[in-house]
Amino acid sequence: MDSSNDEALDIIITNVVATFRTRCHLNLRTIALEGTNVIYKPEVGKVLMKLRKPMITASIWSSGKIICTGATSEDEAKLGARRLARCLQKLGFKVRFSAFKVVNVLAVCSMPFAVNLINFTKNNRPIASYEPELHPAATYRIKNLKATIQVFSTGSLTVTGPNVQNVATAVEQVYPLLFECQKPRCK
Amino acid sequence: MSAAGMRCPACGSTNIVDDDLYSQAQLVCVDCGSVVSEGVLANDPVGGSDVSFSRTTAVAKRPCTNLIKGQQRVKAICRILMVNREIEDLSQTYYKMAYEHKAFLKVSLQKKEILTGCCVLLSCRQLNWPITVGTISCLLDADSMAVGAIYQEMVKNLSIEAPIINVTDVIEAHCHDSLDVPEELAENSRDLTKRAVALVELAADSWIVTGRKPIPIMMAATYLAWQSLKPNKHRLKFSLDKFCQVAKVKKLKSAMKRVAEIKEVLCKLGKEIPWVRETVTPDNVIQLVECILQNRYALLRRAMRTHEDAPPEGTASSQISECADQTPITSFESQNPPPNWGKRVLFAPPCVINAKKRRAVQPEHTDVTGDEEISDSEIDSYIRTPQEARDFEVNVCKYFVLMEM
Repeated sequence: MDSSNDEALDIIITNVVATFRTRCHLNLRTIALEGTNVIYKPEVGKVLMKLRKPMITASIWSSGKIICTGATSEDEAKLGARRLARCLQKLGFKVRFSAFKVVNVLAVCSMPFAVNLINFTKNNRPIASYEPELHPAATYRIKNLKATIQVFSTGSLTVTGPNVQNVATAVEQVYPLLFECQKPRCK
Repeated sequence: MSAAGMRCPACGSTNIVDDDLYSQAQLVCVDCGSVVSEGVLANDPVGGSDVSFSRTTAVAKRPCTNLIKGQQRVKAICRILMVNREIEDLSQTYYKMAYEHKAFLKVSLQKKEILTGCCVLLSCRQLNWPITVGTISCLLDADSMAVGAIYQEMVKNLSIEAPIINVTDVIEAHCHDSLDVPEELAENSRDLTKRAVALVELAADSWIVTGRKPIPIMMAATYLAWQSLKPNKHRLKFSLDKFCQVAKVKKLKSAMKRVAEIKEVLCKLGKEIPWVRETVTPDNVIQLVECILQNRYALLRRAMRTHEDAPPEGTASSQISECADQTPITSFESQNPPPNWGKRVLFAPPCVINAKKRRAVQPEHTDVTGDEEISDSEIDSYIRTPQEARDFEVNVCKYFVLMEM
């Protein structure tokens, strides 16, 4: 698979966002009063609950929809979501864990070379866009993977995609394009 | 229907005349007076006519007033920027296309105004006329992020490709003659442009330009070029603030940082000049700028060579530790980051030289569980002395009193 390089490319996942449903109505006031490590936001209509063990933050709505953010892997996100559902169960709600889905994965990666962004954008014209006055990175959107890659001139990459596999594939796809537009680090 | 050939059903006579009652057509028998047939009061078809009301009252379709206003605005912007005729026509075309595109049909008037500026920007870029997003947002009095967002949306919807501008092209447009400045501050615009362009090229070679906003860099380059053309005490004491006031431009905070960065690079190169005896500091490097810029490639090569030769043992040890860090397969775990390449080379982007330390997850103490045996010699350190017990009680009481308050 890594045909273009024989060194390692560390893709570090920094954030995984997942949603799930509890199939029952949740009383936010009860959670706010009796739950531990909770922040009640009545103006928005949600409760934030933070867990320590997988370090995640969950937004809980009264309809029973919950969004978990802050996990560093898909499994950790699922574990955290289950732990959260258990916490809600202990508070007395008839919770059923259902419709778990990882919605977004954010990862960073660093190329072993620097990239000339102007050449990179010229070679990949409609897919890549670069506006130095607005943002220092060039944006490369892969439609079929639904992944967005932001390429910085130092060679760092920020990748967002719907799951970890897509993120890895996106990095593999973009590597040869970056390789041909590399900038020598010692000039 | 004519009256000929009809017989009255009541009396059988053929003497039937057209005798309309008001607007109703009627055929009446003259002899007995009975109505043979009558039409409807009005001849409208059932369910409404085939031709709609708006079509019957329609006049020839005119272009929307906002479109006309927008096109006049486009023309005004082009005249202010003094672009040529081609660009003006092209931007009018683009504006019409974008206005009638379904993505922009129902947007707010403010967005349509920003769209006028974006059309001008797009046509200037396509015909190689260098202007920046900052100029357009100044003209429209809008946020440059909003202008950028609408510009990108427009490019995507109309599927047009536009080249990216280079900083060196734009700087020539920005260095213009300032007429109403006092004699000792004035400067020939051609010399100023040449020197500023050379400074920007040097900055681009040493990693200052990539990824940064172009306008502060241009401001810094112009300021340093102006200072170096006549490096007398008056000019050297002239701060960036006053320079921007005289040039009537708004000062940007990051321009100061760029000035410092460019001066640092100039110092690094100034050290390599063979005939300079004293140490080169950011204060006295301005006098040497002309010299440095004329021989910048040679000085760059010399500086690289000096840097490579100087501490080879320091770099070698960091290289060995780097090889040990890398794993053979693409891994997804966070590791200690390898020593960054900014420390090894002479010129590197400032974000790499002053890299933010990523907070590493502390390894938990897995070897201590709390169930270990405590030997007799150590047990004393785990039992409180009587004095400590008394102190503890006093403090605990104080704590509870505080809590109750």
